[in-house]
Amino acid sequence: MAEKKLFAAIDVGSFEISMKIFEIGAKGPKQLDHVRHRLALGSDSYNTRKISYEHMEELFRILKEFGQIMKGYNVTEYRAYGTSAFREAENTSLLLDQILNRSGIKLTVLSNSEQRFLDYKAIASNGERFQKGINGGAAIVDIGGGSIQISLFDKGQLAATQSLKLGVLRINERLRKMQPKITQLEEVLDEMIGSQLRVFKKMYMKDRTIERIILMDDYLSPVIMRQTKKDDDISLEDFLAVCGKFREMGKEEMADLLETPEENVNLLRISAAIIKRIMPEINAKLLWVPRAALCDGIVYEYLEEKKLGPAMRDFEQDIISSARALSKRYMGSRKRGEALEYLAISIFDGMSGIHGMNERHRLLLRLATILHDCGKFINMTNVGDCSYGIIMNTEIIGLSHTEREMLAYIVKFNHDDFEYYDELSAHTRFDENSYMIIAKLTAILRIANALDKSQKQKVKELKVSMHDDRLVLLLETGDDLLFEQERFSARADFFKEIFGLKPQIKRV
Amino acid sequence: MDFNDHEYFTNREISWVHFNGRVLSEAEDAELPLFERLKFLSITSSNLDEFFMVRVASLKDMVHADYTKKDIAGLKPSEQLKLLYGVLHEFVDRQYLCYKNLRDECAKEKLILIEKHENMTPEQAEYADRYFISDVYPVLTPMAVDSSRPFPLIKNKSLNICALLIKKGKEKEKHQEFATVQVPSVLPRFVKLPSEEGTVVIRLEEVIERNISRLFSNYDILCSSPFRIMRNADLTIEEEEAEDLLKEIEKQIRKRQWGEAIRLEVEEGIDKRLLKTLKKELNVTDDDIYYINGPLDLTFLMKIYGLEGFDKYKIKALTPREVPGLPAGCDVFEAIRGGDILLHHPYQSFTPVVDFIEQAARDKDVLAIKQTLYRVSGNSPIVKALAEAAENGKQVTVLVELKARFDEENNIVWAKMLEQAGCHVIYGLVGLKTHCKIALVVRREDDGIRRYVHLGTGNYNDATAKLYTDMGLLTCSEAIGEDATAVFNMLSGYSEPLAWNKLSLAPLWLKKRLLKLIRRERDNALAGRQSSIRAKMNSLCDPDVIAALYEASSVGVEIRLMVRGICCLKPGIEGVSDRIRVYSIVGDYLEHARIFIFDNDGDPELFLSSADWMPRNLERRVEIMFPVEDPALKSRVMHVMDEQFADNVKKHELLPTGEYVKPKVPENERFSCQNSFMLEAAMMEKKKKSRESRVWRKKS
Repeated sequence: MAEKKLFAAIDVGSFEISMKIFEIGAKGPKQLDHVRHRLALGSDSYNTRKISYEHMEELFRILKEFGQIMKGYNVTEYRAYGTSAFREAENTSLLLDQILNRSGIKLTVLSNSEQRFLDYKAIASNGERFQKGINGGAAIVDIGGGSIQISLFDKGQLAATQSLKLGVLRINERLRKMQPKITQLEEVLDEMIGSQLRVFKKMYMKDRTIERIILMDDYLSPVIMRQTKKDDDISLEDFLAVCGKFREMGKEEMADLLETPEENVNLLRISAAIIKRIMPEINAKLLWVPRAALCDGIVYEYLEEKKLGPAMRDFEQDIISSARALSKRYMGSRKRGEALEYLAISIFDGMSGIHGMNERHRLLLRLATILHDCGKFINMTNVGDCSYGIIMNTEIIGLSHTEREMLAYIVKFNHDDFEYYDELSAHTRFDENSYMIIAKLTAILRIANALDKSQKQKVKELKVSMHDDRLVLLLETGDDLLFEQERFSARADFFKEIFGLKPQIKRV
Repeated sequence: MDFNDHEYFTNREISWVHFNGRVLSEAEDAELPLFERLKFLSITSSNLDEFFMVRVASLKDMVHADYTKKDIAGLKPSEQLKLLYGVLHEFVDRQYLCYKNLRDECAKEKLILIEKHENMTPEQAEYADRYFISDVYPVLTPMAVDSSRPFPLIKNKSLNICALLIKKGKEKEKHQEFATVQVPSVLPRFVKLPSEEGTVVIRLEEVIERNISRLFSNYDILCSSPFRIMRNADLTIEEEEAEDLLKEIEKQIRKRQWGEAIRLEVEEGIDKRLLKTLKKELNVTDDDIYYINGPLDLTFLMKIYGLEGFDKYKIKALTPREVPGLPAGCDVFEAIRGGDILLHHPYQSFTPVVDFIEQAARDKDVLAIKQTLYRVSGNSPIVKALAEAAENGKQVTVLVELKARFDEENNIVWAKMLEQAGCHVIYGLVGLKTHCKIALVVRREDDGIRRYVHLGTGNYNDATAKLYTDMGLLTCSEAIGEDATAVFNMLSGYSEPLAWNKLSLAPLWLKKRLLKLIRRERDNALAGRQSSIRAKMNSLCDPDVIAALYEASSVGVEIRLMVRGICCLKPGIEGVSDRIRVYSIVGDYLEHARIFIFDNDGDPELFLSSADWMPRNLERRVEIMFPVEDPALKSRVMHVMDEQFADNVKKHELLPTGEYVKPKVPENERFSCQNSFMLEAAMMEKKKKSRESRVWRKKS
C-alpha cells in the first residue's frame, strides 16, 4: 500500500490549543482532524508574566492527549509551536523543558514575526484567490490573542508589516477591568486602538491604495465564513450592517444568531470592532476571510522544507521586498544596495563549495546588503549602532528573532569593530554556530562593501575563483579602483582570519 | 397570537398515562394472540413502575420543596399529582379487569393461574408445601417488629408478605406483633403444580403465605397479606461535586433502594391493622395506596409468556432479514464504499452493525474506532469487539453513558471491562447525558485515510434491536466523517468545531435547526409555496417546538405527526392546530425511530435522529440529527413514513379531546405497517438472493 505521510501541526496559542492532523498526498495536505481546547495561557502571561502551575498541568494533559490522537492516526512527524503567551512569559525556558518531559511533545516558541509569517503562508496557500486578493493592494490583518499584525501588500508584493499590541485577549483583559456597557464598548475600543492606527496610517499608508482587508482571526472569521460563499468578499457596507446588528444584541442572543459559543462572543465583538475601525482608516472597501489558521501555515512550512508538492509563492521575495521597503523608509540608496547585493552574493555563490552555509544564510546576506546603511538616517557617524537599533526594533516578517539579531550584528560589524565570541556571547545568546555565520557573512559583506566604497558602482562584473589559499575576485571595470583597493586590503585580513583564504583583486 | 397559551398543551404525565393506556389496549385486543396480550399487560405494569419511580417521585419532590412553577399545561406540581392520582387509580383498575379476562381466557386454553392457595387441590398443596420446605424456606428472612427491633427497610419494588402474629397462649390485643418477609426475587415468581389437565401455576407469595406459620413457630398468625412498595428512584446526581462519576453512580444505585416510599400496593381486603402499620411505618398517604383486586406486580406475566408449549398463542418470532448489499460475511467497508447503506431494524438484521465493529477490530488497516454506548445488551458482541480492537493495538475510544437510567449498574461493568482491555473510556460530559448513537472507524486505505460512520436512531444493543424499530445509516461520506470526528473530539472535552457539515447536535444547535426548518415551512406556506411536515418520534413535549408547529399550522402547513408516547400537543384547535394530525402506533415492535421530513417547497429534506422533541433531548443531552441525502435511501425512508401513516391496525389517532381512538376497518382492508415492513424486508432479501444465484449460474 502506498502510504501517505501523516503530519500533525500543533498551535499552543494564548487562548486555545489546537492540533490539525494532515494527510500529505500529491495534491497537497488534506485535513483529517482538528482538535481544539480552550486554555487561556495568555491571561496568565499578559497579567503576571508567568504561566500558572494550574494552566501548565492542563497543558501537559492536553498535549499528552494530542500525542495519543497522533498515535491513533499513525502520525510520523509533527511540529508544535507556542506563540505570544510563551513569548511574554518569563518562565518559558523552564516550561519548555517540562513540557517535553511531561507530555513528550517538543514545543518551540515562535517569534512574533515567525508566527505571522506562518499565518501569512497559511493565507497564501489559498493560491490564485490570494493573488487576486493582494493584487489591488491589500492588508492582512492578523488578529491574535496578544497582538495584531498588519501586513501591507503593494503591487503584489509585501511592502510593510507592523505589529500592534492589541490582541483580542489582551484587550479583553483590559475591558474586563473597565467593565464597559455594550453601548460603550465600541467607543472604548476606538480609543484604545484608534491612536495606534493613526500612527500606522501616517507611517505606512502614504501613496498607497488598499482595496481589501484579508482577515485572519479565530472568532469573527468563522462567523463571516458561514455567512458568505467560499472565497467571496464582503463589502464594507455589508460588514458595517452586520456590526450594527451586533451592537444591539445581548451576549446570548448573539451566540444564538451567529451559532457560536457564548464564551466567544466578547472576543468576536472585539475582533469586529477592530476591523470596523481599520477598514475606513485605510480606505479598504472589501473584506476577505480566507480559510486559514496557524496550523495550516505550519503544514505548508513543512511541505516547503521537505519539498513536497508545488511551491505556492516565493516567500523569500516577500522577505526581501519588506527589507527593501524598510531601507526605503530610512532613505537607503537602492542603487547602492543593489550593487552591494550583487557583489556580496557573487562572492557567496563563488565560495559555495567551502563556506558551509545554506540558502537561509544567503538570504541573510542579501538582507544585510539591503539594510547595510539604514542607520545613516539617524546619525552618519554612528551608522553601525544606529542600523543595529533600527533592525532590532523593526519586524522583518519571516525572520526568527535570532536571525534578526544576526542580521543586525552583520550590518553593525560592517561598520564597527567585530566582536569575538567571548565578547559577543557576554551580552547575547548566540551559539557558536550562529556566531560563525555572523563572522562569515560579515567578512563577505565587508569585502563586498570595500569593492564599492566610493558608492559609484564601478564594478560591472565580478567573477570568483579559488586558488589554493587565495580567493581571486576578477573584476570588470573601466574605472580607477585605487580607493576601493585601499579599503579592500584593510578588510582582507579579517576575511582571511575567518575563511583562511586571502582575497585578491584582479582586473580583467 | 400567543401559541404558548397553556390551554393549547396537554400535561405530559397525563399524556404518558394515555400512552400506557394504548399499550393496555393491545392487551385488551381480542384479535391478538393470547400470550401476546399477557406480554402487553406485563409491559404496562413495568412501565407503570418506572413512571412511579421517576415521574411521580419527581412531582412529589417538587411538592416537598414547595416548587410551584407551572408545567406546559399550566398546572402546579401539586395539581398534577392530584390529577394523576385519579387517573392512575382508574388505570390500575382497568389493568386488573384486563388481567381477570386474560386469566379466564388462559383457563379456557388449559393454563390455570391459581389466585389463592386455598384453591389448590390437596395434591397440589402438598407439592407446594414440599417445594416451600426444600427451596423457599432456606432463603427467607422473616423479620418481626417490636420495641427492640425497628421496622425493617423494605427494598424498592420488592414483593413482601406482612403478617400479624400473637405469641401462642396469649390472646390479648397488646401482644400482637407485626412481621414481614420478602418474597425472594432469586426464585421464580410462580410454581408449576402437578396437574392432569393442562398447566397449573401458583404464585410464589401464595405458597409462602400458605406456609407462613412455619416461619413463626411460637406464634399464631392472625392475618397476613402481600404488599409491594415503590420508592423514589429519580435521585439526582450532584455532578459538579462528583469527582469521579463512576463512584458517584455506584453510590446512587445503593441509595435508590431506600428512597422515599411513593406507592404502596396491597391486596383488596387487607386486614385493617396490617394496613395501619404499613401506612404509618412507610409514611404513605391514602392517595399513595393502591388496593389491588388480583396479584401484585403483573410483570410476572412476562415469565408466563416464556412458558413452553404455548407457541400457538404467540406471534411467530420475527427473523431479521439480511440487508441487501451487506450479505453475511461480506467486507462491510467495501460495501459502504459502494454507497450509503440504510438499515431498518428489527425487520433487517442488526448483524451488519456488529460486523462493522467486529471487522474493524480485526482489520489491520483500521487505525481507530470511536463509539458511544448508551445501553448495551448483556454479553454484548459490540463491547467484546471493542475490547478486542484495543487488544489488537487500535486506538479505541468509547463513550459509556453511565447515566442511562436503570442501566447504570450494567454500564459500570462494561466500562471497567473496556478500560482493562486498553480502551480509552470517557464517561460523558458533566451535566449532559450522551444519548447519540454514533460509531466511527478510521481506516488507512490506498488513497489515504477514510472514515466510516454508523449513525443510528437506536442503541448499540443487539438484543433490543430485535424488538425496537430503528433506523441506521452506514456511510463513508467525507463530510459526515469529519463531523463524526468532531463529535468525538467534543465528547472528549475539546471545543466545538468552527462549523458542522451535515450533523446537527443537541444541546448546541439541534433545536435551533429544528425551529428553523419548521419556520421555513411556515414561510413557504405564507409565500404560497409547497409546505408540509411529517415527523415520527417517541415523545413530543418541547413547548418551543410545539408553538412553532402551531404557528406553521395556523398559516397553512399540513403537519402529520407519529408520536408513539407522550404528546403535549393538542391537535384540531381552531386557528391553532387544525392542520395538525397526531397518530401513535403501539405494535408488536416498539416504535423507536425518529424521522423528520420537511417538504421544503417540493424538494424534501429528510433527517434521522436519536432525539425526541423533548426539552431533555434537545437541551440536556448530546443528540445527533443527520440527513439522509442519497435519493434511493431517501425514497425508502419516505415510503416507511407513508406506510406508518397508512396503518389502520395499530395506529391510534389523538382527538382534540385528548382521547386516542383506533379506526374500525373491515378485515380485507386491514393494513399493519409492521407486518408490511417484515414482508418487504423478506422480499428485499429474496430479490437479492435470486440476483446472486443468477450470477452464480452465469459464472458456472
